[in-house]
This record gives sequence, structure tokens and C-alpha cells, in this order.
Amino acid sequence: MSQHAPKEISEITFGLMDPEEYREMSATKVITADTYDDDGFPIDMGLMDPRLGVIDPGLECKTCGQHSGSCNGHFGHIELAAPVIHVGFSKLIRRLLRGTCRECSRLLLQDDEKQEFHERLKRARDLDEGLNDVTKAAVRQARKKDRCPHCGEPQFDVQHEKPTTYYEVQQVLSSEYPDRIASAMEPDEEDGQRISPTELAEETGIDAGRVQEILSGDFRPRQDDREAIESALDVDLTEEDMNKLMPSDIRDWFEAIPDQDLDVLGINPDRSRPEWMILTVLPVPPVTARPSITLDNGQRSEDDLTHKLVDIIRINQRFMENREAGAPQLIIEDLWELLQYHVTTFMDNEISGTPPARHRSGRPLKTLSQRLKGKEGRFRGSLSGKRVNFSARTVISPDPTLSLNEVGVPDRIASEMTQTMNVNERNLEDARRYVSNGPEEHPGANYVRRSDGRRLKVTEKNCEELAEKVESGWEVSRHLTDGDIVIFNRQPSLHRMSIMAHEVVVMPYKTFRLNTTVCPPYNADFDGDEMNMHALQNEEARAEARVLMRVQEQMLSPKEGRNIIGAIQDHITGTYLLTNKNPRFNETQALDLLRTTRIDELPESDGTEDGKAYWTGRTIFSELLPDDLNLEFTSNAGDNVVIEDGQLLEGTVDADAVGAFGGEIVDSIAKLYSKTRGRIFINEVSSLAVRTIMHFGFSISIDDESIPPEAQAQVDEAIEEANERVEELIDIYQQGELEPLPGRSVDETVEMKIMQALGQARDSAGEIAEEHFGDENPAVIMADSGARGSMLNLTQMTGCVGQQSVRGERINRGYEDRTLSHFAEGDLSADARGFVEHSYREGLDPKEFFFHAMGGREGLVDTAVRTSKSGYLQRRLINALTELEAQYDGTVRDTSDTIVQFEFGEDGTSPTKVSSDVTEPAVDVDQIADKVLDSEFDDTTEKQRFLGETREPTNLSEHADDWWLAQTDD
Amino acid sequence: MVDVTNHELVPDHTVLDDEELEEVLQEYNIDKPDLPKIQRTDSALPKEAEVGDVIKITRDSRTTETAVVYRLVVK
Ligand SMILES: [Mg+2]
Ligand SMILES: [Zn+2]
Ligand SMILES: [Zn+2]
Repeated sequence: MSQHAPKEISEITFGLMDPEEYREMSATKVITADTYDDDGFPIDMGLMDPRLGVIDPGLECKTCGQHSGSCNGHFGHIELAAPVIHVGFSKLIRRLLRGTCRECSRLLLQDDEKQEFHERLKRARDLDEGLNDVTKAAVRQARKKDRCPHCGEPQFDVQHEKPTTYYEVQQVLSSEYPDRIASAMEPDEEDGQRISPTELAEETGIDAGRVQEILSGDFRPRQDDREAIESALDVDLTEEDMNKLMPSDIRDWFEAIPDQDLDVLGINPDRSRPEWMILTVLPVPPVTARPSITLDNGQRSEDDLTHKLVDIIRINQRFMENREAGAPQLIIEDLWELLQYHVTTFMDNEISGTPPARHRSGRPLKTLSQRLKGKEGRFRGSLSGKRVNFSARTVISPDPTLSLNEVGVPDRIASEMTQTMNVNERNLEDARRYVSNGPEEHPGANYVRRSDGRRLKVTEKNCEELAEKVESGWEVSRHLTDGDIVIFNRQPSLHRMSIMAHEVVVMPYKTFRLNTTVCPPYNADFDGDEMNMHALQNEEARAEARVLMRVQEQMLSPKEGRNIIGAIQDHITGTYLLTNKNPRFNETQALDLLRTTRIDELPESDGTEDGKAYWTGRTIFSELLPDDLNLEFTSNAGDNVVIEDGQLLEGTVDADAVGAFGGEIVDSIAKLYSKTRGRIFINEVSSLAVRTIMHFGFSISIDDESIPPEAQAQVDEAIEEANERVEELIDIYQQGELEPLPGRSVDETVEMKIMQALGQARDSAGEIAEEHFGDENPAVIMADSGARGSMLNLTQMTGCVGQQSVRGERINRGYEDRTLSHFAEGDLSADARGFVEHSYREGLDPKEFFFHAMGGREGLVDTAVRTSKSGYLQRRLINALTELEAQYDGTVRDTSDTIVQFEFGEDGTSPTKVSSDVTEPAVDVDQIADKVLDSEFDDTTEKQRFLGETREPTNLSEHADDWWLAQTDD
Repeated sequence: MVDVTNHELVPDHTVLDDEELEEVLQEYNIDKPDLPKIQRTDSALPKEAEVGDVIKITRDSRTTETAVVYRLVVK
């Protein structure tokens, strides 16, 4: 692609276009609505005139001589038979009409007022504020004037009928004035005095004969006489007269507005004269902007814009013919309105109050404004975001054998998407091998580019031959292979971790495979979710992705400052089973648990049992920890976890230790050691956990939620008691003896008390159920470890589901004064208002089921509404924040260098680099200093790491783990 | 009327003198309009603050004890 040297844009100014400018830039005047002649050639001075540019390949542009592709097209123009209003400026036109004099066109402001607004404008410009408030205020003030302060002409109100009609509203003498005066002279009920014409003449000072003439309707009183009669008789003799302002009138009016008055309205008269808002010339977009397409049957189909232009030219011609023929004013006005309609819809076809112009099929035409607006418009659809090459999308599925940094890519995707290899002496052999494999066999190649720039497709036929020709200087587009870095994404991309870089592992079958520990950052599950992958196309992008975007680098969430990647679900159950009761394992079992980690030698055994050495779960888990890790915290299960010198001495490893949302050990390792160490830890914990859960076996069934009959009897009793208590409350309430709670009505009070009683009933049902579950119950294990579910879920399954609610109240909707026709009117009892006394295991009765569905529906609707609202909010926030940037001086500024924060986040720290514990200081200087001092006495490599003198090798492939671990030796 | 400036949650607002102002503008290499704004009608402002003045706001911060922000008084 030949390109000009990029140039820096120093300034962009916006203004109106002079009609003269349209004529100057026009390649041709367009006078005929026809496009092609019978032979299929474009008609001269028609809408497809070859001077407007070319779309057919091979043809030459008559204006610039270039071929299609290089010629961008050229504008033409239509001379409008009469001026029309530009819809885009209808508001500004209204403002100018209201703010300027109908006679002399000057702004209706005194010089001192003008001066004031001038200064306010200047201040707004200095402060980078919108000028709209000031100019609006100026027009508002000008509009208040009844008379022009310059020429004294009385001013009338201007009404705007959308989209493009303007009226002057004048108070004129009503045609019924004789009747109105006569009826006002009749005696009214209060004073009962009839006013005679002579009396009227005396009071108003009008000649008596004139009064008679006025009363008979022979003479129309002038304004001062009218006002005199009005005040004498207390009557209104006027009516509103709507005088339509034709576009030509408005154009004349605007032409006379002096330049210095425009300044006050925030308009730069050098660039934009207001009369240019009334179009006399219409630019015709080049054919390249409205290409016609040839259908299968050989018929041409024209672009919507062309259709619209045809309409405009037709009406324009009819207008001219009629005017020349001296047609009546009424017909001329109708045609003028029609021309206005077509020009308006040419620019915007979605104006409220105007029927959209339609295609023959009834589909509304897509005109200029519709091309730009909205999600699929030019800005959001083609400029801010567009479809890209080198991307793939498919269903995702889990693969726990992958590292969290990897992604499994189906072979058919890997051989479609390519990476460019620059061939040199060192990779020549590889390059030849790829090419000789051809485009179908996996690590192959699809294209080559020779040193002379020719691009050749590698085919099954030519691959062997081509492979021999490959030499230094060629480029080979080879298939994706293991270890390549790609970008992986799941929509909606709500945070930074929705787009991360992964290393490719090419695999059979059709889905992308990912390690389950990266589900939380993507918010992915495997119920049919699809994800997108992008292959990177230059070294810079690949390096950036590897250093900045790789999954392990995103381990700590900038939102919460703690890890978002870690053990989930069965991983947590696994580590819980391993550490909670601290079970013992023999040598074979222990080695088997650690099989997929890098540990291949067991530590010293914890003791012997029956003459055989054994290792405890905590000892085995400790093998994964860095040797010098010290930590103490409380686990989700509630016990105290103590880690000293990399040994788990006591406590349960569960969600609070290794979990994906702020697992203490993961968070500490990632912050204190490195992201790479964190990644290794998570990978090993998850595989240890999977092997552990397989060792013990873990399942859940209906029987795990059942309780003995005597317990069930207790539960039933508790619910029965609650029901009785509710009946009691209702009784007291109905006798009017219920004491209202402070600040509540009696109705509210009884509801609250019933809710409270039923809430207690559910809780006690839950407690009874809980007593009968041991620590070995799978649901209890999951709730206790934080793997999934809560004790509430368990009690709902075994004890009682509890109160269903809509809008935070017991269910009270449905029929008049009752929820279902099965109940009496006004029944406030528990079962009539949505209390579900059965458990999920027992099953709900039909009424309960219905109430449960009501509550469930509300939840679904809420989430649907929330997601759409938060999506829009997110978009607005992103648009507002994208241009903010942290500067090298520590400040946060927008693109115009206005300061937003004087120090990033007011403290200049990154949330991912400071402690995520709110009770601790964010940066513990003492602790850091201690560490530095400690390291003084250690060996030098240790010291260097504390002083940060060795750089973390972030761009290492995972294949180099062994080397990396040897370097740090922990 | 309650004077909100005495409330413990309202941070200190003080007017900068010319010398201090010059220093601030120098430090950040900006002109006055590049500062964040505060309205004259904001009740947290001291009585003497006028349009065009620059206010120094000293807030408590969990991480750095105090965080300083400057704002230009407008309209
Ligand atoms: Mg899903
Ligand atoms: Zn051309
Ligand atoms: Zn005038």
C-alpha cells in the first residue's frame, strides 16, 4: 500500500460551508434524475456521471484520471430551485430568528449587554467550558425585547413547528371586532349599565361617526384606537396571526446580520455565515459513497442515497417548470414543501413528526444521518470498532491438565491462523519444513512472500517444490504452534482481565480448552460459552502481550487489589479434604498426590503407623509452598491457619487460603515472591487438589439431605408453632388491639411481626436440620470450605424453604385482597402469603410452587434489567474515562492536560502492589525495611532479590520453568 | 444555618496566596484553567474565597495520611 508520510494534525476547525465553495469543489452540476442510458452507460450530468468517480474496475475517472480504488470520488452539486432549510441547524435557525430584529437583522441587545455576553464568552472559552449556556442566555435576553433597540421596529414571537417550519406570531385585529365591541357594550350583570356609542366615543376620544363606522364593520380601527377601545371596554379585539416565514425570507433576514453581532452568539463569521444554513446548493456525494450493485439477474440496484437524490432532482425540476409556467402560488408552495421534505430526509430519515421516506418494499431508507448514528453507524461500528482478521471464535471447555497460562487451540483453527516468519540462515530449515508440510498438515504454512514481494499461496500441489525455493529474506506464514502467544477474550469485556494473553497448545477436536482456574477473571463457564482468540501479527505486539497481558500478570485484580485467579469449586473441596482433618497417606498415596507437581521426592515422613511411614495432608500441601513463607490467618472454616518457614503447621486450606477471590496464600505469594511463583503455586494446588478429591471420592445425592423422622417431626413442630403464633398475631390485629411499632402503621407492624415469626421458624428448622449433619456431609464440606453453596442452601434443601417475597414484601398480589382463589379474602396467614413450609427435598405443594415461581421470576427480571442498565452505564463511564492518562509526573490528566488527580489515586500507589487487607497499612515500610536488613546477613543472590536488582524474567515461556526455578532456588 | 466547614468530614479548604499559587503552577507546569474547578457557591469554601482564587484542599488519606488537591474557584 502506498502511503504518504503521516502528518501531525495541529488543529481542526468546524464551520459552515459557503454555497460558493460547494460550486467550486463540484466536479459537475447534476441536472437529470436518470442514471444510466439504455446501453447501460452513465448519463452525463446525471447522478452516475463518470466525473463523480468510478466504481467499476477498469474504468478511468473523468476528473482525476485514476482507476477505481485510487480515486476517492468527487462531489457534484444540484442547484436548488428555491432555498431550503438544513434540518441539522433547525434549532440554531430558531435561535437566530428569535434573537435578531425582523427589520434590520441586528441582535436585539444594547451595546452594554453585548459587551457583557462577549466577556462571558471569553471566560467560558478560557475555562474550556461549553459556550452553549452563554449563547442561550444571550438569546433569551434578546428575545425579551418588544422593540428593536436599534431601529425601533416591534418584534414578534417566532414559533417553530418541527422540523423545518417557522412562523411569526402577530397579534392582529380580529375579523369579529364589531361583534366583540357590541357585546361588550351590552349591560353586564354587575352594573347593569348599557354603554352607548356616544359614551364610548367620549371615553376613547374617537370621533362619534368613526365609532359608528367601526361598529358597523365599515372601518378597521388602527392600533392606537384599538387599544383605546380595548381598555375602555375591557375587551380583547385581537387574534393570533401565524405568518409563515419562507426559507427565502429567512435567508434574506440572516444575510443582513452584522458580523460583530454573530460574535456575541458564539459564531465565527469568517467561517460561518448564518445564511449558509439555508441551502441554495446541494452537494451530491461521489458515487464511491453510494455505489450501485448489480444483482444476480443483471439488474442494477441503486444505493438509498441515490434514490433520495433522484427524488430531489425530480421535484427540483418540477418546481422550476411550474414556476416558469407561472403556476399558482398554492402549487408552488406545495412543491417547495415537497422539496424541503426530500432534502430533509436525504440528511436525516428518523425525524420525529416526519414520516420517513421509504423504499418501494416499504423499508425506510438509510440516509446520511443513519449511516453515522448508533451502534452499527460509522463511528461506533466502523471507526471505534471493526471486524478483524486473524481471529477465531468457538465454544470453550475445561482442561485441568493445561497451565493457567495456556489455551488449547483446535488444530483446524491453528492451521487457519498464521504467524509471519522472517526467514534467515538460522530458521531456514524450520521454514522449509513448514512449507513442505503444506497448508493442511499441522505445523505447515499457508502463504510465502518472496524477497521481491510476490505473495504465493502454498498448496498441497506446490508445497514440496516451494519448500526447496525458500531462502533468507522470504516471509513464511506458518501455522500457530505450541508456545505462540495469542490474545483470548470473553464478552462482555467488563474489566482488564476479560482480555488476556495465553500460550497456544494445539489440540484435536473443535473447542478452545482452558484451565478452570481462569474461569473467574473471564466469568466463564462451560454451559455453551464461546470465546474469541486473536493471533498477534508483529514482534512488538507479541512481546507486549507476553510481558503485560499474560494470565499470570493479571493474577491480581486492580479493582480489589487481591488475586482473582486461584482455586475454585472442587479444588477447594480437595484442599479442604487434604488439610482439615490432616489425614495420613502412605508413600505410594503421597507420591500419587504429588505426581503432577514438580515435587518428585517426599520430605521426611511424619511418623510410622503399623511399621509403615506416613505423611500427613498438611505436610504434603507444604511441599508446594515457598520455603520461607510465613503467614497466619483465619480460614473460611473458622480455624487458625499457621504457616511457618513454608510449613503448614495447623489449620484448614480452603477458599480463604487458596480461593480465587482473595485467597490469602495466593495473594501473598504473588505479591511477596513473583507472579511466576504465584502461577506455579496455583497450577500445583489445583492439580494436587484434583488428585486429592479423586483419592477420597466426592459426591452428593438426595440421601445426603435427608434427616431422621424424629428430626423431621421437630421441624414440623417448629413450623406449626410459628403458624400458631401468626394466627395469634392476626387475631390481635383484627381485634384492633395490636400496638403499632414506632413510626409504623398497624398494617406494617403486623406484617413485620409475621415476617419475623416466620423467619425464626425457618432458622430453627434449619438449626434442627444442621444438628443432624456431620462434618463428613458433602454439602457441609462445600459450605464450610467455601467451595460452593452455603448452610442456608442446605437448610432450604432439608428443613424449610421459607418465605417467598416480591418487592421485599410477603406475596400480596394476584386477585383482589387475596393471592390465589384458594384463599379467603384478606387472609393474612402464612400459607396464603407465600410461606413455603416444605423443604426442597420433600417437594413443594402446588400453591407453594406457584409462590416460589413468583419470587424466582422477580429475581430473573431484576438481573435482566440490571445487566442492560449496567451495560449502558459502563459504556458511558468508559467513554468518559478513556482519555485519562497517568503522567510521568504522577498526575492523572485528560487529553487537554487538565489535571484530574494530582497524584494517581491520591497516594500514587497501585492497588495490586499494596496490601489488600484494609486493617493493615497499605505499604508496610517497617516490614520492608526488616526484610532488607535481614537480607544483609543472607547470601548475595537473596539480597539482590530483596533490593530488586535482578529483573524478573517475565517473557519466559513456560517451557523454561526448570531453568527459572534453578535460578531462584526456593 | 449550619457551617459545614466545621464538620469533621469536610476537609480543610484554604485560599492560596500569589506566591504559593505560582509554585503550584510551576510544579505541575500548567495554567490556572487546567486545575480542577470548584464552584463559588460550594459551602465548603472559606468566606474570603473569590472567583479566580485557587483553593488548597487537604484531605485525610489511609495510605499517605494527607492528600493535597488544588481547585480553581469558578462562577
Ligand atoms: Mg455460561
Ligand atoms: Zn477521480
Ligand atoms: Zn431593528
